[in-house]
Amino acid sequence: MTTRDKDKEALSALMDGESQELELRRSLDSVEDDDALRAWWSRQQQVSEILQSQRSSQTGLDVSAKVRSTLASQPQFQRNPLWSMAIAASVTLAVVMGGQALLPTADLAPAPLVSDIGGAVVPVIGAQPIRASFDARPVPVSTQPPQAQGTGARQTAAAYERLARDRYLRLGAQHARAAALNHPAPFVHSMRAQTEPPLEVQDLK
Amino acid sequence: MVTASEADQKLVQRAQRGDLRAFDLLVLKYQGRISALVSRYISDPGEVEDVTQEAFIKAYRALERFRGDSAFYTWLYRIAANAAKNYLVAKGRRPRSDASIEDAEAFDEFGLSSDSGSPEAIAMGNELVSVVDAAMQALPEELRAALTLRELEGLSYDDIAEVLGCPVGTVRSRIFRAREAIDERVREQIGGGSGFR
Repeated sequence: MTTRDKDKEALSALMDGESQELELRRSLDSVEDDDALRAWWSRQQQVSEILQSQRSSQTGLDVSAKVRSTLASQPQFQRNPLWSMAIAASVTLAVVMGGQALLPTADLAPAPLVSDIGGAVVPVIGAQPIRASFDARPVPVSTQPPQAQGTGARQTAAAYERLARDRYLRLGAQHARAAALNHPAPFVHSMRAQTEPPLEVQDLK
Repeated sequence: MVTASEADQKLVQRAQRGDLRAFDLLVLKYQGRISALVSRYISDPGEVEDVTQEAFIKAYRALERFRGDSAFYTWLYRIAANAAKNYLVAKGRRPRSDASIEDAEAFDEFGLSSDSGSPEAIAMGNELVSVVDAAMQALPEELRAALTLRELEGLSYDDIAEVLGCPVGTVRSRIFRAREAIDERVREQIGGGSGFR
């Protein structure tokens, strides 16, 4: 490569903003009194302008309206609202039943206990109090004073337990019927309906 | 991507420090476009030359105040347009047409210029375009690819090297050889002056 070619190559890089400072100085020195180089630079600017004018611009294409109308005309995937109703009913039932199990009744309310070894026991709803023991095994502490655990109290507790069980079964059946009726798949409805005695059996009773 | 203003930056900085050689290269680069702009206001070729020259002189004197907030060509374009308008006001004449600053900004961003010259210049420009197109098509593939990525896609040398999978020095050499080949063809068919406009 001749010196002139090197000068031109440096000018070419300068055109593209890729010239280093030292090279830029050399280019300016070489072009200063060289009309042929100045003419080369000038012609290259025009050629560059012609080439750059051929850059493809954006097509101006706008497909947004067609996309929007196409999407609007197609059925949209939507979650069936009956599903969320069934789920909400299940959660509500669980909360109601769970809450009732934890609620203290008047007879079964835990009373503050005093350990027979002098330690205090803090009552916790739904938890089995444990008395501290000096041997390896914890000793459960009764939540009832001995005098309150008579026959009458046991009968009352059993009655409440029956009432709670009946209520649980009734609510469960109601929920199953409601969920089956609201379910989008009919066969599930049939399956749920089988959990109750058939109609003719009920009539025979 | 290297825009026209980024490519001008080094020359502008040197010209701001008083390097007339750097400013000379900027004049050579933009005189065609600026004179075409001025000719949209003024029809007389002699007056176009005077006003174009005046615009560059004003630009050089004001260069110290150029902060680079806009592209150099946009800034130069404003000076030239004002110079042409002021010239006509001083002569008590009306412009042939008006030019918008969007033209200059479009050039800086896309390399497009709507500046039109005389019918002869347009005819010469059309001929030049076809010669350049033909020269481009005749280039070896490796040279054409490098020059296309630079001029049409505006990629930097680093990016071109990555695209083509070759060293940056090779990219630089290929782009130069492509330009030289096109110039040779243009000189054969049109002539080798300092400009074709």
